[in-house]
Amino acid sequence: MNNLRDVWSSRFMHYIGEVQKYMQFIFTGHIAIVLVFLIGAGGYQYSEWLKVVSTDFPAQTIVAVVIGIILALSRPTTLLREPDQVYLLPLESKMPQYFKKALAWTFWSQVWLVGIVYIISIPLLKAVTTLTISEIWAIFFLIVVLKYLSVQGEFSYRYSSRGHLIWGDRFIRAIIFGLAVYMGLQAQLMLAFALTVIACAYVFVFRKKCAGEPVPYEHFVNLEQNRMMSFYRFANYFTDVPHLRGSIRRRGWLDWLYKSVPYAKGNAQKYLVFRTFVRTDDHFYLWVRLTAISAVIVAFVDIPVVTWIIAAALSFATTIQLKQALLSGGDFRMDMLYPQPEDARKKAVQQIVRLSMIVQAIIVGLCGIMQPMFFVTIFVIIIVSELTTKMTKS
Amino acid sequence: MSVLEVQHVTGGYTRKPVIKELSFTIGKGELVGLIGLNGAGKSTTIKHIIGTMLPKEGDIRLNGITLKENMDKYRTAFSYIPETPVLYDELTLREHLQLTAMAYNLDEATLAARSEILLKEFRMEKRLNWFPAHFSKGMRQKVMIMCAFLVNPSLYIIDEPFVGLDPLGIQSLLDQMDEKKKEGASILMSTHILSTAEKHCDRIILLHEGRVRAQGTMTDLRTAFGMPNATLDDLYIAMTKEQDNE
Repeated sequence: MNNLRDVWSSRFMHYIGEVQKYMQFIFTGHIAIVLVFLIGAGGYQYSEWLKVVSTDFPAQTIVAVVIGIILALSRPTTLLREPDQVYLLPLESKMPQYFKKALAWTFWSQVWLVGIVYIISIPLLKAVTTLTISEIWAIFFLIVVLKYLSVQGEFSYRYSSRGHLIWGDRFIRAIIFGLAVYMGLQAQLMLAFALTVIACAYVFVFRKKCAGEPVPYEHFVNLEQNRMMSFYRFANYFTDVPHLRGSIRRRGWLDWLYKSVPYAKGNAQKYLVFRTFVRTDDHFYLWVRLTAISAVIVAFVDIPVVTWIIAAALSFATTIQLKQALLSGGDFRMDMLYPQPEDARKKAVQQIVRLSMIVQAIIVGLCGIMQPMFFVTIFVIIIVSELTTKMTKS
Repeated sequence: MSVLEVQHVTGGYTRKPVIKELSFTIGKGELVGLIGLNGAGKSTTIKHIIGTMLPKEGDIRLNGITLKENMDKYRTAFSYIPETPVLYDELTLREHLQLTAMAYNLDEATLAARSEILLKEFRMEKRLNWFPAHFSKGMRQKVMIMCAFLVNPSLYIIDEPFVGLDPLGIQSLLDQMDEKKKEGASILMSTHILSTAEKHCDRIILLHEGRVRAQGTMTDLRTAFGMPNATLDDLYIAMTKEQDNE
């Protein structure tokens, strides 16, 4: 039956599409440049350090520990979704087919990371140890095999225990794998082989335990949702992710703020927008983040023109993002039916944004109080914000 | 004069209309049931009345005016309880009530008096400071119902109100509806719970494929279908069978 394979393929295509879509935003942004610089600088430092590293540097131990930990973290990518708990139930006995595909992808999507880390460490191993080239590549092969075992092992453990105490399992695997790699690095290939056999046995025990257990859909679906959520959260720093519903926090300590919007008919939208801004993490932390960056720069950079330019840029960024975030929302909301002027929400958003930017200006201004002409920063922030509000479309 | 007049309304999402030449009225103090299969056009009809969709042809008048003529007056005249509760995740129950009261220009004393009664009726007094994330589906529905009844409009538009409510909640809702009717308010209610509709509605509008198939009191409908003693369930099934045979 090809059915489940097709299910996997269509999911996989969708998943790759989703990841690609956001990766574009992430890597076309400033982070790509930052990464290139970081890698370049790191590589240079590393090669300089290799020239002077002493031969008693514990390279084997460090490499074994790092590789052991990376090997043990083998979260399965199953791409299961919530409705599967219902729709795939009748295919329970055919599910191994699906998981085989899923685990193959899990292996290939994770093995490169541990591979790269090991390859990066090869110059160090050559400098510090007496390993031959063929031994070094034998260990590489060993690591690939161990990764395969780890992926199978973590999946079987999660399947049989529904993820309960997964860190215990990961710890045990990290120790076995780390020891195996360490033995390999000590050129004790027989001992490394013996530890690999132990790893096999460990994985086999949990594989056996899975037999007859129903598919733990809930656990795997949870795992998928968390993984996608953390990906979306990360992507959200670079672009607007539509499915990301900001979480809500009461922030009771800010309740006194709402007194500035008294009970009155014309205030309904302000009442709402103010609370939306303060209590939605996305909006509130956006403001906090940009205000903090602006304040720190203004406090520590003592070239006035530079601080004005940066404060202006951050004022623009805060204003435009806040305005768009508070005005957006294509879904139906009850306030769309309120007997109020059409532009009530727009006006309310303008006022709340203005208020938050005045507060930003004051905070940033106070942080720059030791600098010459710090008061200019305050005006720059307010003027840029007002211009941004006026000149951008709603 | 009727409170709501829907006259020859045609409309829908794309070029193909979902509702066609729809006409009906609701009089003062009347409870009218809007009945139809999934996809018959009930929700689209309601969206046109509340003004989130505009008719391609025809007119909808609430207390004699259209939405275009006087938006504020039109919107003040009704309150709406959607099928799926739509709440603000960032507002507590108390704040939902306050926001609604502000939007509809109630003074604080009226808000306090009306909300006290509603909170008691729907057994939500202890949840005033809760956020919607902690509410069950039924409780969310109750928040919507309380906000709607707080406003005291001349027309209530209630979409599928009984789904998710517990039996006590259903009873409270029916009691509230009854009370408002006595005070002269009109209600348009769409539902699939036909026995309740039959028992409580003054008139029924049977909607099928975007058109009014039949409307009137239960007696009118029984006569129209030639089924004396029939229940609304019987009539409904007869209607769908009749259409299938066409």
